[in-house]
Amino acid sequence: MRYKSQSVAYWYFAVAMVLFGLQLVFGLLSATKYLGPDPLLYILPFDVTKVIHTNLLIVWVLTGFMGATYWMIPDESRTELYSVKLAYIQLILWTLMGVTAVIGYLFRYGTGNKLLEQPLPHKLVIVICMLIFLYNIGMTIKRSGRFTTTEGVLVLGLVSSAVLFFPALLHYENYTVSIFYRWWTIHLWVEGVWMMIMGGFLAYLLIRLSGADREVMEKWLYVIVGLVFLAGILGTAHHYYWVGVPYYWLPIGGFFSALEPLAIVGMAMYAYGAMRRSGLAHPNVLALHWTLGSAIFTLFGAGLLGLAHTWPSINKWTHGTLITAMHGHAAFYGAYAMIVLAMISYALPSLTHGRTERGSSIGYWAFWLQLGGMFGMTLSFATAGIGQVYLERIMGMGYLDAQLKIQIHFVMLIVCGTLFSTGVGLFIYDFFRYRPRFEVSEPEVTDNEVAVGRVV
Amino acid sequence: MNNRQARIFAWGSTLVAALVFLGLTLDSHRQFPELTNAENITPQVTHGKDVWHKYNCINCHTLFGEGAYYAPDLTKITQHRGEAYLQAYMRDPSQFYDEQRHRRLMPQQNLSEEEITDLIKFLDWVANVDNQGWPPRPILVTGGVNSATGAEQAAMVLTGSTSVGVRPVSPDSDIRALGENVFRTAVPGCVACHSLAPGADGAGPSLAGVATRAELLVGASDYEGQAGDVEGYLRESIVAPSAHLSTGGMYSANGVSFMPDTYGESLSDDEIEQLVAFLATLK
Repeated sequence: MRYKSQSVAYWYFAVAMVLFGLQLVFGLLSATKYLGPDPLLYILPFDVTKVIHTNLLIVWVLTGFMGATYWMIPDESRTELYSVKLAYIQLILWTLMGVTAVIGYLFRYGTGNKLLEQPLPHKLVIVICMLIFLYNIGMTIKRSGRFTTTEGVLVLGLVSSAVLFFPALLHYENYTVSIFYRWWTIHLWVEGVWMMIMGGFLAYLLIRLSGADREVMEKWLYVIVGLVFLAGILGTAHHYYWVGVPYYWLPIGGFFSALEPLAIVGMAMYAYGAMRRSGLAHPNVLALHWTLGSAIFTLFGAGLLGLAHTWPSINKWTHGTLITAMHGHAAFYGAYAMIVLAMISYALPSLTHGRTERGSSIGYWAFWLQLGGMFGMTLSFATAGIGQVYLERIMGMGYLDAQLKIQIHFVMLIVCGTLFSTGVGLFIYDFFRYRPRFEVSEPEVTDNEVAVGRVV
Repeated sequence: MNNRQARIFAWGSTLVAALVFLGLTLDSHRQFPELTNAENITPQVTHGKDVWHKYNCINCHTLFGEGAYYAPDLTKITQHRGEAYLQAYMRDPSQFYDEQRHRRLMPQQNLSEEEITDLIKFLDWVANVDNQGWPPRPILVTGGVNSATGAEQAAMVLTGSTSVGVRPVSPDSDIRALGENVFRTAVPGCVACHSLAPGADGAGPSLAGVATRAELLVGASDYEGQAGDVEGYLRESIVAPSAHLSTGGMYSANGVSFMPDTYGESLSDDEIEQLVAFLATLK
């Protein structure tokens, strides 16, 4: 840690860890309900556990993004944060918003609009938090006068996330139109601007961990951003299948979402190439695992498994089945959960006392258990989904009867989910095992060091 | 590629994609009213949509295939189930499905009668949106292929038919074969509610042995309909399902059968005769 204000990241990460743990509790509960019968039918029915599961995901990943940004910006701009106080106010507001939203869901206080269930007051608090955040980051960069490309991509991603949230605040009379604009927020977040954020973090980590040449890395970052948007913006069309929009969205969705993996392949090649060229010299090998792991798992979950059901003539049969859950779990985990865990693993040795730079064996157990568990969960959803598509959609068996025939895959889901949760539990334990440290541990960068190439 | 070219590529492709996307969005708005029958969005439909949101339906069910995957897709539900059925179902789902058997059950939502009526109006609006012909084959809640007899399933495999239980027929096929074809293909689908396996009741009673039951019934003193023979009874049941209610509370309420009463209009007279001939074979 070179700048004292970077330590705010610790508290953001800590909140993210707690919410991540909580997310899994509700995930496991939801999974067991697939097996049924459900003793909690009138206490915590599926719709409640599911809405909390997905909302906690969004909140903790965004908390992680914010923490990681507060960690990264001082490093990149070589200055203290503009206001530490604002950063804490933002965290408190944000956490209160998240916690009260979850409590509200327990009592069915929500909009019932998929993934945008937050009631209007909560949505407004989200906007306020976003504005505080962007103001703080913007002022930090402005004051320092140093603005790197990596940072630029990250900040542009964050600003666009805030802008794209606005359609979610409006009310639509026509259900089809409300679906149309819901995806402006959700899809363009997940497959557009969040990808940019991920790309920014990835570039930062690769430059630091592998010592790869900044000039080269930033050039390719541009290419990746171009590909993300070229395919991602028009790729929104794959959410417009079968919802009551004009027919031309079908071929557009097919073509551009088939292009979407290009950016992801680019990202994986980029990470691998950086490692090949510059070696694996950095002592924080655990952070390296998470960084490369994220690039590769994204390729699998978002790229390959997305492509598997994105073509209209296939999606016609798989739409709205567990095939979607298969893709959703692997993609979100690989692209967003893992990149946040990578940033945490990178920052943690200097944010806590007594932690070795290479990472502990508990840290590696956490990595491999999570990876294995999530891979197994993905396969469980995949096998269940394939069974469902054939029995229900192609053979014409009733939904409830088809679900009975694929019970064994739900057993597998719960077993793998338990493995995964064990991995996450270890990660959280490892996180809180050491006392946080709030003093500067590395000297500030001087111009001379930059000149002789000692810092990147 | 140098740094500057990379930057131009990034901005250029983003700009082009965004412009095309916005253009298509404008055009979609031009087409929304027609594709979604916007003129049918009455205050009741809007209220029904609010009910859908208020009770968080989308976090178990899917609509247009979007939502959670824990409960059946409801996009075309009003084409599979009549209004009376849906009303009774919404009042108490546990009267219709057994949690021990299906391992999941919809919790009772305690909707008001007005909420139920408007929700059904909303779902009916959804069912009529032009959504690019999805689903390609009806998505059923229960029943379907597993309620067909073994021989029927074997026949499906032999003919290579991918359409459930529909064997190829030509106009000069046996009238009972034509009738079975009607049974499989009518809209709303008979198979969506009725199985042919003894005891396998769906949203409607199993039709196994319906001819035998009809024969006993038309002679009985408590029969309320007009028919004098088996064929007449079957015809009456298809065209006017409420003429005689013999099967108890799960299939009717307030003297009205849950079965759609639209077959008199949606099927031709020939098709009804074919269907009667087929059903009359179910001794």
